[in-house]
Amino acid sequence: MLGDAGRGQVNVPLLQVDGLVKHYRGGGMFARTDAIVKAVDGVTFSIGRGETLGLVGESGSGKTTVGRAVLRLELPTAGTVRFEGTDLASLQPAELRALRRRMQIVFQDPFASLNPRRTVGASVAEGIEIHRLAPKRDIPRLVGELLEEVGLDASYARKYPHEFSGGQRQRIGIARALAVEPSFIVCDEPVSALDVSVQAQVLNLLLDLRDARELSYLFIAHDVALVRQIAHRIAVMYLGTIVEIGPARTVIDAPKHPYTQALVSAVPEPDPTKSTSRIILAGDPPSPANPPPGCPFVTRCFHPMKDARCTAERPRLRLVEAREVACHYAESA
Amino acid sequence: MTPLLEVANLNIFFPQHGGPALVPVDDVSFTVSSGELVALVGESGCGKTLTGLALPRLLPRGAEIGAGSAIRFRGTDLTALSEPELRAYRGRRIAMVFQDPMTSLNPVMRVGAQIAEAIHAHRKVSRRDARDRVLALLVEVGIADPELRIDAYPHQLSGGMRQRVLIAMALAAEPDLLVADEPTTALDVTIQAQILELLDHLRTARGLAVLLITHDLGIVAGRADRVLVMYAGRIVESAATAQLFAHPAHPYTRGLFASIPRLNATTTRLTPIGGSVPRPDEWPAGCRFHPRCPVVIPRCRTERPPLEAKGPGQLAACWVTPGAAR
Amino acid sequence: MTAPGRIGLALLLALASFAIVGPMIAASPVAQPDPLNGAFLLPSAAHWLGTDQLSRDIFARLAYGARISLAIAAIAVAVAAMVGSAVGLAAGSSTGLVGRALQRVINLGLALPRIIVLLVVLAAVGRIPPPLLGVLLGLTGWPAVARLVRGETLRLAQAPYVDAAHALGAPPARVLLRDIFPGTLPALLVATTLGVADAILLEAGLSFIGVGVRPPDPSWGSMILEARDHLANAPWLLLAPCVALVLATSAATLLGESLRRSLQPDTR
Repeated sequence: MLGDAGRGQVNVPLLQVDGLVKHYRGGGMFARTDAIVKAVDGVTFSIGRGETLGLVGESGSGKTTVGRAVLRLELPTAGTVRFEGTDLASLQPAELRALRRRMQIVFQDPFASLNPRRTVGASVAEGIEIHRLAPKRDIPRLVGELLEEVGLDASYARKYPHEFSGGQRQRIGIARALAVEPSFIVCDEPVSALDVSVQAQVLNLLLDLRDARELSYLFIAHDVALVRQIAHRIAVMYLGTIVEIGPARTVIDAPKHPYTQALVSAVPEPDPTKSTSRIILAGDPPSPANPPPGCPFVTRCFHPMKDARCTAERPRLRLVEAREVACHYAESA
Repeated sequence: MTPLLEVANLNIFFPQHGGPALVPVDDVSFTVSSGELVALVGESGCGKTLTGLALPRLLPRGAEIGAGSAIRFRGTDLTALSEPELRAYRGRRIAMVFQDPMTSLNPVMRVGAQIAEAIHAHRKVSRRDARDRVLALLVEVGIADPELRIDAYPHQLSGGMRQRVLIAMALAAEPDLLVADEPTTALDVTIQAQILELLDHLRTARGLAVLLITHDLGIVAGRADRVLVMYAGRIVESAATAQLFAHPAHPYTRGLFASIPRLNATTTRLTPIGGSVPRPDEWPAGCRFHPRCPVVIPRCRTERPPLEAKGPGQLAACWVTPGAAR
Repeated sequence: MTAPGRIGLALLLALASFAIVGPMIAASPVAQPDPLNGAFLLPSAAHWLGTDQLSRDIFARLAYGARISLAIAAIAVAVAAMVGSAVGLAAGSSTGLVGRALQRVINLGLALPRIIVLLVVLAAVGRIPPPLLGVLLGLTGWPAVARLVRGETLRLAQAPYVDAAHALGAPPARVLLRDIFPGTLPALLVATTLGVADAILLEAGLSFIGVGVRPPDPSWGSMILEARDHLANAPWLLLAPCVALVLATSAATLLGESLRRSLQPDTR
């Protein structure tokens, strides 16, 4: 059932993001200059119905900002986000709030994403109340059903978040998102704060829900192996731009961008017999306030053909072997 | 060869008012030899961090080491030493590196001065010599442009560089054992690889013994010589890395492996361990993993399984897994 | 709650019940003015704390004074808390022009020297009834509360659960009321409790210099003012209101600090 992204059974994608840019006035009070932090610097992608796009990158790559801007939890500096063909920027506040029913988010930190002063039931019921999806007397029953759908006991509705473990809280957060019956969910590092033995439970839950409810996910994570497992397509971000995007297994199993190659090779492989040579990147990513001209990856790139063109001209995404890569020399990778 | 460090029957407990004491570390034994990288792996609350802190006797307030525990360092039992006697070991012979490089550094002091302070604490050196020594350490831990970075403040450095600075500070006293508690957890994948590479390099170049405490079985592969798997305060499996990865003997270890997404996976679903990690006040009797164990038998609920040989150089505490003798 | 906090709470409750019950006792014969026996009587069975220069029973005046002083303080912190949290919530939650304008208003309020404003206003309006004095203290005390609530609002607005509410399509007012405002209450409670001590001292200070509660109305401050003139021959007149003042302010401070420790463990 894990269809390849190429299937493309629909004409209008569920979500279409074009040239998304988010700049912050940077630095704070003690910064020497009023630098512009280019958190997201021109990102384009689409997500089809029932499709999961994995968005991979390190901290500071802008992947979380993309997720927040897609939901207009932050206003993009430029670019458009279309949901089912509707440009979100064209909507009045009330129209946007109504549309939020269709697009939800699951957060990274299960401890901070639930209001500690409200019962689990109140948090899960919030969306139903806001959008008046059910008469008041039905809400407790619906909340109970939602909690059971995410693998919790219906009686937990009366408890408070602090009574639960991280994994249970993450399930509560998922139930809250499901309550408004969305078709699209941004999963922002949904398992990275959980214990290893619990991560797989939550991941499997997200997979089950995707199948049962025909959900689309924008799955944001730093763990390449994890994203490969859940996503149909993968976009790799570096310094605010997508450097490689394509079918998940194509991109991860045979990466073409040097950064993707390094990222994949840095994945701790729990199999010591497979001694693939690790690519250890030198140095740190440059500051998004001061990205290099040309290719953003040039300062750490190990490609043998790296030359003056890389420092002068920013490579555009272009089709190379069934995925798009932003590297001048992707063919000889 | 006698091991550099030998921990025997380590018990750490928190006395409670009007109740049984919490025992977050229960009867833990292991050894680390010079030039060896041993990984102590476990999930949150399993006691791995307390075990690491106990080695230089840096336990938090309220925690005590039980009678019958021994921490022998080159044959000297550290649990028997007084505070002044311990100072010859703490930082000097046994150095520590923690998870969060930002909070472990003084934000208003240049990093070079902080490393120099670590040198002065253990040895009498002139300011000139100290600066040269700091520069040499910065080079050793792989900091580019050390002449530039020596006068930087912590916030001017990236997370990876701060962790390198902390390692340099730990190395300042020429320790024999480095205890690294989740040194890469706060770092990005590509930076994490750099730091692990550095630790690996240090133990070969310096003959340093490294105890790497981590929740991530993945980072252990190909780097650690041996792995100790901890669950609910006890070591449940101990083996050479290759043996552990090829033939995990404890159901918990097997469960951990099945929970980790693999790059070569052919299916979408992972096989999780059911339930959640129990807190120290709710640890069950018998084998502490039994409520989550897929192969549990009645004996597991009542009787604690001993650590026994299950394969070459491999110990595991499980009633079900057949022993090596078979 | 810590032990000092419990002591503070018990003291405050004792003082409050003294303010309620005290005047009833004071209405009994033991506490009536005693023009026959005269002024400046030392404490005795007839007059528990003695009498003052006008033969008035000091216990009775202390009890009425407690009622007035504590009522003024309560009104003052209530007004400051209400105005302050309204302005602080609005300033913290509105972006753009409104938010910036409110922030300016708060800063202006903080920059004005409170005591001088009070002196000028009180000098201009002359004698005012004690409840109105409480309102006036509140109206000059709210900027500090507003600054606090604004900070809390800004902090809570960053919380992921607030993002979650926005993402669910909650209207801004609903988010403010359900997710942000309840989160500001612990800080507000602490500030209000500590504010009680401030208000009591401020009222006493104003009354002592003769512009607050004015004689013959008793407040602890005005009692100290009147007692000052007889310091040489009847120093015990000064003792009762001073002890009451110290007890009340210490109690509020103890309770406030204790609440701070349990409700906001990360601040100091």
